[in-house]
Amino acid sequence: MLSRLALRSLQEAKPVLLGIRSTSSTAVNKSSERDEVNFPHPVRPIEPGKVRMGFIPEEWFKFFYPKTGVTGPYMFGIGLTTYLCSKEILVMEHEFYTGITILIMVVFAVKKFGKGVAAYLDKEIDEIEGVWVNYRKSSIDSIKKAIEEEKKSQWEAQGQSILFDAKRENIAIQLETAYRERLANVQSEVKKRLDYQLEMANVKTRIEQKHMVDWIVNSVRTAITPAQEAAALKQCFADLKALAPKDA
Amino acid sequence: MMDLFSSFDPSSGIMALPLNWLSTLLGMLFLPYILWAMPSRWSFVWASLLDTLHKEFKILLGKGKATGTLMFVSLFSIIVFNNLLDLLPHIFTSTSHLTMNLSLALPLWISFMLFGWVNNTKHMLAHLVPLGTPGPLMPFMVLIEVTSNLIRPGTLAVRLTANMIAGHLLLTILSNAMVSMSGIIILSTLLISQILLLLLELAVAIIQSYVFSVLSTLYASEVD
Repeated sequence: MLSRLALRSLQEAKPVLLGIRSTSSTAVNKSSERDEVNFPHPVRPIEPGKVRMGFIPEEWFKFFYPKTGVTGPYMFGIGLTTYLCSKEILVMEHEFYTGITILIMVVFAVKKFGKGVAAYLDKEIDEIEGVWVNYRKSSIDSIKKAIEEEKKSQWEAQGQSILFDAKRENIAIQLETAYRERLANVQSEVKKRLDYQLEMANVKTRIEQKHMVDWIVNSVRTAITPAQEAAALKQCFADLKALAPKDA
Repeated sequence: MMDLFSSFDPSSGIMALPLNWLSTLLGMLFLPYILWAMPSRWSFVWASLLDTLHKEFKILLGKGKATGTLMFVSLFSIIVFNNLLDLLPHIFTSTSHLTMNLSLALPLWISFMLFGWVNNTKHMLAHLVPLGTPGPLMPFMVLIEVTSNLIRPGTLAVRLTANMIAGHLLLTILSNAMVSMSGIIILSTLLISQILLLLLELAVAIIQSYVFSVLSTLYASEVD
């Protein structure tokens, strides 16, 4: 990794890395004392660095391209190995053959188990990342839901004023009803009083009339003399005789 | 004179200072960088391995007041890196020397014994006679237990040394044969080399035995 930093120019690497993790820097408390230009924060790479032949970084190959072209690094590698072997710096003794055996074993293991192990590890790491991302996402979701519910309760609170109007109207109706009821009460009471007066007047008139009739009758009766009475009686007898049947 | 054991005593250093022992710290280059909250593949593997070890040792140390598993896990780390890096060519194995292993085992054992004997003398004395020994056998049991206690650092160190030397020696012999061989027999020797190397990778298991034995010593002598 240090060799990559030494050979890579940051300008060409930055857009690739920053593009992937553009959201991570928005929620971080940045200290104002750190010089961000000369000492930028290291960005976490998503893919492992590109390597050729399993362990040699691409940057080492690219380093040779401007001067020597694409065969440059391979010639350099072969030349270096030849030099080391011929000068007996890299001695082909027992450790060397052990190294070759280990190389064969490692190549075999990586080719056979590499993808499986990498997939399993990536899955585990995604699980860990999923926990963090889920926490953040679920917090955001719950807060959004709380905002929605708050808006809804505000709307409901506004609806309360309509409820108040309805209640006010209700009470007004009740008051009106009570008023009308009392009005009817008053009307019936007044009518009762007036009816009483009417009855009183009627009764008085009737009694007066009766009294007058009685007085007239009584006075007529007392005005009848005995002579008139006897004459009336005689007349009655005569009428009766005249009316009686002839055979009697 | 170049003999079979020459790979075990190189002397690469400035003046009289043997710098080959710095290979002990070579394992530190393999520790993962943990710069971010999200683990990388290697840091995840390493973290889960250490997590497993911590849990195991915690169980072994029992429900004591203070279960410090860090020392044993770091002991495991240094030994596992040294043993695994021994397999690679031209790397000096520090754990194949008795010096190194004794300097790991002896201080541990002495500290455990001193602590146990000074603080819980009765408890330690009681442990010298296992449960259920018949009466007349007790003096001999005490002798046997004392002996087994006394040779514990020796066994710990010598076990690791012997395993490392034996494995590496076998590899050396095989590869020496491969140097002077020509023909299809090379293929078969390569195969045997491979199998032996895989066996040597079980040196990792020896670390487990090392730490477990240290742990069982601590556990047996102090807590219980």
